[in-house]
Amino acid sequence: MNMEMDMGVELAKIIPELWLASLVLLLVPLSTLLPQGRKDSVTWFAIGGLLTSLIPALPLLGQRGQLAFGGTYTVDSFSTFFKLLCVVASVIVLLMTLETQRGRRAEGEVPVMVVLATLGMELLAGSNDLALIALTLQIISVPSYIIVGMLKEEPRSGEAALKFFLFSATASAVMLYGMSFLYGLAGSLNLEELGKKLPGADLSLVVVGLALLLVGYGFEITIFPFHAWAPDTYQGSATPIAAFLSIGPKAAALAVLVRTLVVAFPGDLAGWPVIIAVSAALTMTFGNIVALWQHDLKRLLAYSSIAQAGYLLMGVAAAGRDVLAIQGLLFYLGAYLFMNLGAFAVVAAVESLSSSVDLAAYRGLSRRQPFLALSLTLCLLSLAGLPPLVGFVGKTLLFGAAIGAGFGWLAVIAAINTAISLYYYVRVIAPMYLQPALALAKVDEIVSPALDTNALKKPVPPVLLTVIIITTALTLLIGIFPEPLLALVKLGTGLL
Amino acid sequence: MITLTVFVPLAAGLIILFLPSVRSGLIKSVALAGSLLSLAGSVVLLFGITPTSSTAITPGANNLSFEERADWIPSLGASYHMGVDGLSAPLIALSALLTVVSLVFSWSHRERVKEYFFLFLLLDTGLLGVFAAQDLLLFYLFFEVALVPMYFIIGVWGGERRIYAALKFFLYTRVGSLAMLLSFLALYLSTSPRTFDLPAIVKAQPFAGNFVGGSFVLLGLFLGFAIKLPSFPFHSWLPDAHVEAPTAGSVMLAGALLKLGGYGFIRIALPVVPEAFNSYAVPIIVIALISIIYGAAVALVQTDFKKLVAFSSINHMGYVLLGIGVAGVSQASAANRLTALNGAALQMVSHGLLTGGLFLLVGILYDRTHTRQIAAYQGLWQTMPVYSVLAAIIFFGSLGLPTLSGFVAEFQVLLGTLGVYPWAAALALVGLIITTAMFLWTLQRMFLGKPAVVDERTSVPEPGQATAIMPLGKDVNNKTVKASLTPHFLPEINRRELTALVPLVALALLIGIFPGPLVSVINDALKVLPFRVLAGG
Repeated sequence: MNMEMDMGVELAKIIPELWLASLVLLLVPLSTLLPQGRKDSVTWFAIGGLLTSLIPALPLLGQRGQLAFGGTYTVDSFSTFFKLLCVVASVIVLLMTLETQRGRRAEGEVPVMVVLATLGMELLAGSNDLALIALTLQIISVPSYIIVGMLKEEPRSGEAALKFFLFSATASAVMLYGMSFLYGLAGSLNLEELGKKLPGADLSLVVVGLALLLVGYGFEITIFPFHAWAPDTYQGSATPIAAFLSIGPKAAALAVLVRTLVVAFPGDLAGWPVIIAVSAALTMTFGNIVALWQHDLKRLLAYSSIAQAGYLLMGVAAAGRDVLAIQGLLFYLGAYLFMNLGAFAVVAAVESLSSSVDLAAYRGLSRRQPFLALSLTLCLLSLAGLPPLVGFVGKTLLFGAAIGAGFGWLAVIAAINTAISLYYYVRVIAPMYLQPALALAKVDEIVSPALDTNALKKPVPPVLLTVIIITTALTLLIGIFPEPLLALVKLGTGLL
Repeated sequence: MITLTVFVPLAAGLIILFLPSVRSGLIKSVALAGSLLSLAGSVVLLFGITPTSSTAITPGANNLSFEERADWIPSLGASYHMGVDGLSAPLIALSALLTVVSLVFSWSHRERVKEYFFLFLLLDTGLLGVFAAQDLLLFYLFFEVALVPMYFIIGVWGGERRIYAALKFFLYTRVGSLAMLLSFLALYLSTSPRTFDLPAIVKAQPFAGNFVGGSFVLLGLFLGFAIKLPSFPFHSWLPDAHVEAPTAGSVMLAGALLKLGGYGFIRIALPVVPEAFNSYAVPIIVIALISIIYGAAVALVQTDFKKLVAFSSINHMGYVLLGIGVAGVSQASAANRLTALNGAALQMVSHGLLTGGLFLLVGILYDRTHTRQIAAYQGLWQTMPVYSVLAAIIFFGSLGLPTLSGFVAEFQVLLGTLGVYPWAAALALVGLIITTAMFLWTLQRMFLGKPAVVDERTSVPEPGQATAIMPLGKDVNNKTVKASLTPHFLPEINRRELTALVPLVALALLIGIFPGPLVSVINDALKVLPFRVLAGG
């Protein structure tokens, strides 16, 4: 067979990825060439490029999956669903940066890095080989350090980037060490080859390899105890970037985690469902309990996103045992995308008006910005799993998956956690509605003297407002009519 | 028809949101129109129920009228399935009525009118939806939709400790509803094919012969419904929530929201896990008896009128749980069980009317004097005769005097219990005696004697007016409040208050004197479901 023709066929399978790669190459000169003040065109161009990359990708949904590049890469419905998810997330984040980064340093570079990280996430979701997984994780991480550290005027930003980098480097090293174990046992890094060889290998070494591998994945997903970087990093980065980190890498790493476990560790090898179930319980409990004490909204959302990762892991633990599991995982990711980005968007809006992310800025918000208050309330109640919001349907699926997979105890822990989480979500909602705005001036002098009480009366920037309207509306609408997203999710469950 | 009844309040609420805040008169009118339409719809539902005799009685068969079914989430086996029977229709009518009453009573409300009326309408939709839903996921959705507005009603318009009370209410009920959700999921997963459809699950009996599974499912359901009821030892949110809630909020909370618990037991817990229910019937009866006696005893020692009413609710809802517990004893005679369950269902309607009335009585006094201390009132009979007559009727209804609705319901519960566990009936009677004493004593303290009242707003006694200095209990800072009791003439109940109160009193009397029609409607439904499942299944 002709090698060149083969290459052409293979490349045709990854047109969406190639599209994004070319977009990055186009954006790099564009971001430097455009004059200051016109830099927002770069972002708009990136948004357009991201959206059009979906055109070649979407027809793959519901198609039979296929392998590419000698079995190292998969093109299937499952990875296509994640492409869709990551692109939507990145577009929403870029819309948010349009407002928050306007006129700041590195305004032009943010979209380049976001698109590059998105490309990394798409590649990660399709990776079928441990070496490729290690590589693509770096394609996500490197641009992430850069955008985290971009707020040069803030000392916290540098700290955040450094912490992020050190944690990430350590996690990657440990993961690579684990991969070497697995390679030694199976003689291959290909997931399918591993799946054939590992069941016959020494079980204790397989467990060691898996455990070390999970460190690397756990870093991206923020599995306890590998979550420690997240709160500081979120707090130090610009709000849209924190939003980006809370959804994008998490989703892609969950995709590759499911693929690795299901393909390379067949038949519950090394007892991975129990390992994941226990991590899920620890992660959600830790995230929820620490969140109870947070005053900084970004830190609160960071711990909330750790807890949410715990719920998502329930779907991973039950994968392969109950049909609801993967459906629940994908649905909840979709749900989490809208409700979480919605919450971050409101935080960004309040921040852009009042320059504060402290809880004190939210007192009496329902009087001055009724729409922002309502949106944040809906998004937070959705994160808390209250119907008729999208988070409720997602939680129902995941709880059902856990019970159906025989992890009834996990479902009970998750339910208790959901009740706990309501406490800190309500801690944000209560000041907005229950505390009078009248007392605000007095309170603010004590809590945060810098807070300009009149600033909150200004109109919300239009782009940000649009993002908030869209995410909130979807949080509510998909919550009431979940069937369309569920149908999409069902198309996406086709693992190769 | 059901959809119309359930969603008209929400539609009115959405219209309100788009009206300018300054036009508060228009907002109130739209809200009232919405709730009245929904009440009219509920009356149509109540009178339109197909009698059971005309349909074949088979174990577990559903006997729903006005049934509606549409796809909702087909991939999850959840559908928009609504229907009413003799159990749900009276409760739908009750909730719709209480919403109208609350809105009428709140007519003079000034603070954040738009949000206030919107939340009551949203609450109305949630409540009606729960009583009409025949799909577990839909039931759960409405159950929680009814929860959120109450949080805000208590939290925004409540008393001093409103934020604490609202949060406590929210968290307590949320824990219960999550436990309930897990049970729903277990039922969904064990029914084949997987479905959330309640009649289908009842028919399939997925936990028949599975004692451990059934017990867990019952535990989850019990937590969900017992916290809502509320039953001892899950009641501690109730006094706080009631004391802090605005009057209309209390009316909805006690009158309608608590009924979700009892209704859930009868509609879901009894039919889906009858075997487990039977095994745990005695513990459930014991919990019910503790609630009855504890609620009555604690109410007896309250100095705060509103707290007294709140604890009396725990007592009254105890009869509901008692009736349900007795109905769950499968080896007992069918007639006794049916009687007890009938009593439980009727008690919910009766308690809704009477406690709604009691909270209005508290609110009317509080609006005039800003104190809820029983000791602050004396001789109201002479100053507010009309108010006092209505109050007396409601008090006597609450203590179970014949010719009032409370008697019929409690009598049925006790009669059924007597036939199954005589000791339980005897203990329940103790609770009844305490309640009687409590209401009579309160009546004597507040309404008889020389007219005098403490008005905290004018608590500085004018010279020559002070007659006695008396302790009024502790205030929030734990300081003993002393105020003078002055001869003072409170304004008589006004037209708005009368309009709110009279329908409740009239219905309590009507049901007390002619219980037949309502009893037979309820009995018709219970004969088929859940009762036939237990007896004939």
